[in-house]
Amino acid sequence: MGAYIFRRTLSAVALVLVVCSIVFLALYAVPGDPAVILLSTGGVTPPQSAVDALRVELGLDKPLLLQYFSFLADLLRGDLGTSFSDKSPVIETILARLPRTLELIGAATVIALLIGMPLGIAAARHQGERVDRLFALMASFALSTPVFVIGTVFILVFSKMLNLVPAGGFVPFSQAPMQHLLLLLMPSLAIAVGFAAVVFRMTRATVIGVLTRDWVRTARAKGLSERRVLRRHIVRNALGPVATVVGLQMGSLLGGSVLVEYVFNWPGLSGFLVTAIENRDYPEVRGTVLVVAALFIFLNLLVDLLYMLLDPRVRH
Amino acid sequence: MSRLRFPSGSISRPIVFNLTLLGLLIAIALFGPMIWRVDPTSISITGRFAAPSQAHPLGQDEFGRDVLSRLIHGGRISLSVAFAAAAIAAVGGSIAGLVGGYLGRFWEFATLRLADVVLAFPPILLALLVASLFGPSVVTLISVLSVLYMPDFARIAYGETLSVKRMEYVEAMQALGAGTLRILFRTLFPNIAGPLLVQFSLTVSHAIIVEAGLSFLGLGIVPPTPSWGLMIRTARSFMEVNPIGLLWPSLCLVLTIFVVNRLCDSLQEAFDPRSSTRGIPFLIGRRRSSETTAPVPLVPAEEKARLAVENLRVQFATRSGTTTAVHDVSIDIKPGEILALVGESGSGKSVTSLSINGLLPAKIARIDNGRILITTRNGEVFDTAHADHKTLRRLRGSEVATVFQEPMTSLNPVYRIGDQIVEAILANRDVGREEAGKIALSMLQKVGMSDPQRRLKQFPHELSGGMRQRALIAQALSCDPSLLIADEPTTALDVTIQAEILQLIKSLQEESCGRMSVLFVTHNLGIVAQIADRVAVMYAGRVVETGPTGQIFAHPRHPYTRRLLECIPRLGEAGGEGRRLVTIPGTVPSSLNGIPGCAFAERCDMVQASCHEAVPPLVEVTSGLHKSRCFFWQSI
Repeated sequence: MGAYIFRRTLSAVALVLVVCSIVFLALYAVPGDPAVILLSTGGVTPPQSAVDALRVELGLDKPLLLQYFSFLADLLRGDLGTSFSDKSPVIETILARLPRTLELIGAATVIALLIGMPLGIAAARHQGERVDRLFALMASFALSTPVFVIGTVFILVFSKMLNLVPAGGFVPFSQAPMQHLLLLLMPSLAIAVGFAAVVFRMTRATVIGVLTRDWVRTARAKGLSERRVLRRHIVRNALGPVATVVGLQMGSLLGGSVLVEYVFNWPGLSGFLVTAIENRDYPEVRGTVLVVAALFIFLNLLVDLLYMLLDPRVRH
Repeated sequence: MSRLRFPSGSISRPIVFNLTLLGLLIAIALFGPMIWRVDPTSISITGRFAAPSQAHPLGQDEFGRDVLSRLIHGGRISLSVAFAAAAIAAVGGSIAGLVGGYLGRFWEFATLRLADVVLAFPPILLALLVASLFGPSVVTLISVLSVLYMPDFARIAYGETLSVKRMEYVEAMQALGAGTLRILFRTLFPNIAGPLLVQFSLTVSHAIIVEAGLSFLGLGIVPPTPSWGLMIRTARSFMEVNPIGLLWPSLCLVLTIFVVNRLCDSLQEAFDPRSSTRGIPFLIGRRRSSETTAPVPLVPAEEKARLAVENLRVQFATRSGTTTAVHDVSIDIKPGEILALVGESGSGKSVTSLSINGLLPAKIARIDNGRILITTRNGEVFDTAHADHKTLRRLRGSEVATVFQEPMTSLNPVYRIGDQIVEAILANRDVGREEAGKIALSMLQKVGMSDPQRRLKQFPHELSGGMRQRALIAQALSCDPSLLIADEPTTALDVTIQAEILQLIKSLQEESCGRMSVLFVTHNLGIVAQIADRVAVMYAGRVVETGPTGQIFAHPRHPYTRRLLECIPRLGEAGGEGRRLVTIPGTVPSSLNGIPGCAFAERCDMVQASCHEAVPPLVEVTSGLHKSRCFFWQSI
């Protein structure tokens, strides 16, 4: 098992390195002088003096290989460069905003699990019956509604029409805990709708697969209560695939939360990315992409290890 | 070979329905602009947020542009971006996967690693990065989306190619000298087309969502080109003035994605029908809780049978209707007796044994008639054919324990052997966890496990089949049951292990000093002589002969039993050299519907005309113990 974890971790680290290189090279993949492209806005050609200044600032005047190594060296020191717009270290902004995105994803995951798993189990136990078909149809609709549509409709209905919750925004938990949670509610619910549908489908499919397994019959034959059979011999065995899909979904939300953060004005990492892209603030874009991709790879690694922990057959 | 094969034989109705809907949407996107010729970009200051009119059936937007026309053109953009991206991803990814899987070596490495790298980015993030570098445009959008989805296709094609590659007919074609390319495209492709098709529809739906999302963020389609995402973006800013503006593009977007998703689901269902929400047959009028009787202990029967099955009839729901799997079966077992229930697969012997402690699959099986009386150690009698869940639970494990056929799969793979036995003990006996652990250990010793202390801590997959069956027997006997049902406990094991397990059950029964009865279910009449006191032979859902083992073996009184006995291979028998292995020609009828007479008549070598007319009754051959269901038992 140790060897597997080591190998898996090593390949994750290698992948992070590859991603770093790609993000570094991405700037050069665009035809033309990167400095000119970065400074061009609305078709206006930037003055040569500004282009030269930027080239020096980014170190673009140095050989490519040298640039690459100094980029990696900076990375190792935790230096992601300084922002074009306010000259602040990019890493600081990222570290301030990342927890907010993670909080959003975390809250959405909890809600999705609380809705998706029980419904999935219920649907599986009543496979082919009316409840099952109803839940499946609901899940289909949930999966067919893009998260920004859900978010916008939420704002229209719950804020504008019913005046129940604020339309968006953010206050730190330390300042106003209740207000913070209230503001967290709508964005996390908006994400949770589709997420719950994914959890529902996976739970249903896996539980259906487990329901007819021989050990379930053995468990009943032992005289266990139906509740215990369900909990210990059906749901427990379905956890692996569900955990995997939850992990993957959380990973894709690292990028996907951008839409919700935008809709609800939630000052997380991906909202920052959109602004950075709009401002063509390359260090900010690069830093954010790097951090998110690294987190994503790390999360995938974690999912693999968790799966191993849940299934002793893989563990050995 | 060259045509796409649907496992169900024909294309299902949901697929046709959803395909039609999607075709309709595509037709609107393609031909809509020719019919509704209003320019989606023509601005009219006076028509700002105008209500629906003849000229503008869905009203006008914030620039006074025609909403209907913008929706149609938006759909055109959305669908063409999605289909173009999915098509490029499908072609590129499949080729990469096929080549990687088929050629191996460098190509395999390159395909898989490239896929890893693309998948190392959260999808939307990669799209954003590219959009930021190249600037938003339709071309950027299509290329980034196709790169995004290529790995999925590559992995599917790769995986399926690997599995197909080793199939015999591919190897045969190689041996015939077919070229690599020819094999790749002519032979492999039809096999992987199904999963790729599912992935394609999934990709189209994803691509529509991502395109709309990026446009919504202002990083996708560039205005004034209409796009649903863009329309939602602007409608959002005016949602207080004009909430209906939000409705139309959202509705179009959701419905389109919904149709594609449903198509995807129906395709998936066609290729993997297991998780279907439709088409599962149910028994009409399933047993309701009101019909089950409370645990009323009945008056003990005179003979005090441990188990008395009386006139049991069990029905199953199948796709072609209800069939009766067990007809009017009556068997009984006295305390301390071993009864063997013998029959071919499909004879109803397992169904009978599962009925005893209510383990029939609830959704498709139903006890239609009869009683199953179980006398507990304390002399109480319960009818498990009509018992509620609580009663069944009380009887299971502590009174009626079961050992199943498949030791490899009958233990839960995620728990240790010891924990599973302890769980059974705690559910049935009034002991603490520590005490239960000790009982589990002593049970493992009793069933002859080597190193029982270590076995307790092992997981099922660490044990051999024989060891697992011993563990299951230990678990079954850990609660000291009065009836052990052994449902083909040796079938899945090696012959040498079979004999050991058989001996184990026999000796454990003897050790119980006549308290434990055993119902031994098997298809192997040969091993019955070693273990059973009495035998009941089943054929096509009926008991055809029953009696003491010695008598059945010496003087079978039913042609089926006689033929079964003839089938047992014997070593060193006189004239053994020229003797062929005997078989009974024909098969067990799968359904008795429409067979008015003896079910064995078709295969019987002494059949008479009357055999086809009525079902022979089970008649006494000698002194009430030996019975046969044959009109002509006297001539056997």
